Amino acid sequence: MNLIVTAKDLVKKYGDFTAVDGISFEIKEGECFGFLGPNGAGKTSTIKMIHCVSPVTSGSLIVNGLPAHIDNRSLKMMTGVVPQEINLDNDLTVYENLIVFANFFDIPKREAKKRIAELLKFVELEAKRKSKISELSTGMKRRLLIARALLNNPKIIVADEPTTGLDPQAKHLIWQRLRQLKNQGVTLILTTQYMEEAQQLCDRVVIMHRGKILREGMPSKLVENEIGREVVEIRVSKEDDERIVSHLSSLSCGHERVGDTLYFYCRDGQEIMKKLIELNLHNYLNRPASLEDVFLKLTGRGLIE
Amino acid sequence: MNLSYRIYYVFFRNLVSYKRFIVPTFLVSLIEPLFYLITFGIGMGAYIGYFGGKPYLYFLVPGVLVSSVMLSSTFECLYGTFVKIVHEKLYDSLIATPVSAEDVVAGDVAWAAFRGLVSGTLMLVVAAFMGVLPASVPSLLLLLVLMVFVGILFGSLAMIVTSFAPSFDFFNYYTELIITPMLFFSGVFFPLDKFPAWMKSFASFIPLTHAVNISRAVFTGIYDRGLIFSFLYIFVLEVIAFYIGIKSMKRRLIK
Repeated sequence: MNLIVTAKDLVKKYGDFTAVDGISFEIKEGECFGFLGPNGAGKTSTIKMIHCVSPVTSGSLIVNGLPAHIDNRSLKMMTGVVPQEINLDNDLTVYENLIVFANFFDIPKREAKKRIAELLKFVELEAKRKSKISELSTGMKRRLLIARALLNNPKIIVADEPTTGLDPQAKHLIWQRLRQLKNQGVTLILTTQYMEEAQQLCDRVVIMHRGKILREGMPSKLVENEIGREVVEIRVSKEDDERIVSHLSSLSCGHERVGDTLYFYCRDGQEIMKKLIELNLHNYLNRPASLEDVFLKLTGRGLIE
Repeated sequence: MNLSYRIYYVFFRNLVSYKRFIVPTFLVSLIEPLFYLITFGIGMGAYIGYFGGKPYLYFLVPGVLVSSVMLSSTFECLYGTFVKIVHEKLYDSLIATPVSAEDVVAGDVAWAAFRGLVSGTLMLVVAAFMGVLPASVPSLLLLLVLMVFVGILFGSLAMIVTSFAPSFDFFNYYTELIITPMLFFSGVFFPLDKFPAWMKSFASFIPLTHAVNISRAVFTGIYDRGLIFSFLYIFVLEVIAFYIGIKSMKRRLIK
């Protein structure tokens, strides 16, 4: 597969603050690539450089064979951007938002009208064609942002936390649409804080923290390598740790104490469960390991602000 | 400077949104100058009597006309632009398309000039009903060109202010300390010849003074050579302000 984005030692600084600290990665054409990380990890800064609205401080960033640069109109021409903040044009209706935006891409009027009709259908907003933006729900606004990002038939879609603040229905609709686009061959570049979203959509992810990439790989592989298959959470007081850990030592699982919970990471949760019954403990939970465990293990469970 | 024909697309976006504001803006543009002309022109004019052989209203109209162009274009690039940048993040969505930051800013300055032209033209209509008209058709055309120049100049100056304004309140410094005093130093309401020499030379640095001089000539039909300098002065300032406005706004938009 061809590479569509190649970053090498990419750095982004705002004054003295380093938001992106010398990262390298490659994105293949047609895949969905996710940037995961807590707030302030440098995800948004990275994708802003990819879609050419933020200058690269140092390092190299090649998108579709061209160096990413704020004045690179031809890259912007083939990119669709779904921003984190809802920046629809509040003075215009749904339809006007799209027709005015189609202009920016030099799409001829007749073609734009046809495309807008298709896109409104695609995001299920046909009935809202004449509505003002203030009359839309957050889910509708996010869907309209997706329709707007698709006007120019983009080769690359950059979506910055596209489902923030949505209810489950709206979220699933957006995921379905994004998957549909990927199936049509569009390269999808996503940032998210939701591990479920990354697992639902991404072929490969990188986990970022403080401007650096900590891990890279397929979501399922990352989970298996870092955590195992299953997690057992036991809510007991700290004094009991030693007793429980020694009782389970034969199972060779990793364990971690965070706040009021003792975590065990392992291949088979059943064995632990049996032993826990022997210990006469009640407040525990056995669940499959997820990307969230990887994420928390790597970036720490403390609050990041 | 990465400017392109896409300036027009930005202008067009403003035109589409204007549909919703056209009635209130037309009303304001009509009523505000009407107040000036009625209160000053008729009320004060009754005391002042004749100015150079004509009622005070004839003196007043040319100055009030260019100042309404100045105010419209100034407010558009202060408040209008600020809302688009900070509150609605509209500029962010535009610069993610092939429209460059320079196109966006230039498109908004062009739009401010258009708003100024509309205000000035409405004012011209009001004045015409009161019997005050430009001296000839070429004079009228010259006035239209002047209005566009003044609009671009003050739109660009306001753009510079907006490029570093942290909040709406900041604009008070500019409007109260620079724009409003300009009205009184530029000969809009009274001739400047009674000013002491230092005030006169101060007034001659104010671009509005030059715009008022040209506008007044348009209505009297009496042109002198100094007006060429006035036009050049406005033009040069305009080019400088436009350039700085775009550069400093780009710095705010692209980080």
